[in-house]
Amino acid sequence: MAVDKKFIGKQYAPFVYEVGREKIKEFAKAIGETNPLYLDEEAAKKGPHGDIVAPPTFASLYAGGPVGEMLYDKELALNLMMLVHGEQDFEFFEVARAGDTMTTNCVISDISEKSGKSFVTAETMTTNQNGRPVVKARWTFVIRG
Amino acid sequence: MNFDDIKIGDEITEGKHPVGKYQPHYYAGASLDFNPIHIDPDFGKMVGLGGNILHGLCTLAFAAKTCVDYAGGDPASLKRLKARFSKPVKPLETVIVSGKVVAKDGDTASIEFGAATNKGENQVLTNGIAEFRKI
Repeated sequence: MAVDKKFIGKQYAPFVYEVGREKIKEFAKAIGETNPLYLDEEAAKKGPHGDIVAPPTFASLYAGGPVGEMLYDKELALNLMMLVHGEQDFEFFEVARAGDTMTTNCVISDISEKSGKSFVTAETMTTNQNGRPVVKARWTFVIRG
Repeated sequence: MNFDDIKIGDEITEGKHPVGKYQPHYYAGASLDFNPIHIDPDFGKMVGLGGNILHGLCTLAFAAKTCVDYAGGDPASLKRLKARFSKPVKPLETVIVSGKVVAKDGDTASIEFGAATNKGENQVLTNGIAEFRKI
C-alpha cells in the first residue's frame, strides 16, 4: 500500500541523547572496531581528542532516535514487515565525545513510489550542547511491495 | 597514512569483515534496533528475505572502519559517508570493502567505495562515498 504523500514535511519532537562512555565502547566492539581512539582511554588521552570519541556511525543512536519514532509512527503506518533500509548519507561536522548531549530534529523530506515499491526519506540535523552542528543525515527506507 | 599521502587513483586497503552467526544480535543490542528481520531467522524467511539479515548500518560501520583506517584512523577527518544498501548481508558471510581515491584538492579527499560478500558476487553496498577533510 502506498504511503500517503501528505506526510512529507511532518516533523518529530527534538530527540535528546547523552553520549555514554561505556556505550561508545560497547558500540565500537559490536562493529568489530579495534581503533584505540574509541576503546582505550589511556591511548586516546595521548591522541588528537584527549579522550575516547564515538565511531562515525554511532550517529545511528543519537541521530537515529527520532527516525525510529518515524518508523513506528502509527499515523504513518509503515509496513515494517516489508521495510528495509535503502540508503544512508551522513555529513559529519564534529566528533561525538562521551558526555556530549545531542539534540536531533527530524523531518520527513520525501515519500515516493517506484516499480511497486515505496520510498520514505527522513532528514535529521543534530547539534551538541554547545549548539554546534554534529551530523546532518538522510535516511531512506524502502517498503517492498 | 597522512592526508598529504592520499593520491587520486590509489586503491584503499581492502577491509574484510566476517559476519558471525550472532553479529546481527550484537549490533541490535548496541544500536537498539531490534527489528525482527535482523534477529529472527523464521521471521526473515516469512517476509521473503530467506532468513535474518544484518543491519545496513552495521555494514556501513564496517565500510567506515575500512575507509577511516585507510585515511589515518582519526574519525574527525571523516566529512561525509554515504552508500546504498543494494542487497542484504546474511550471517556467516564476509563483507569485503574496497574503494579508490577519486578526487582530491587542498583540503578534501574523496573515496568511492563498495562492498561485496564472499557468497557470489553480491554487491551489498553500492554508490559509496567517503569524503575526508585535512586535519
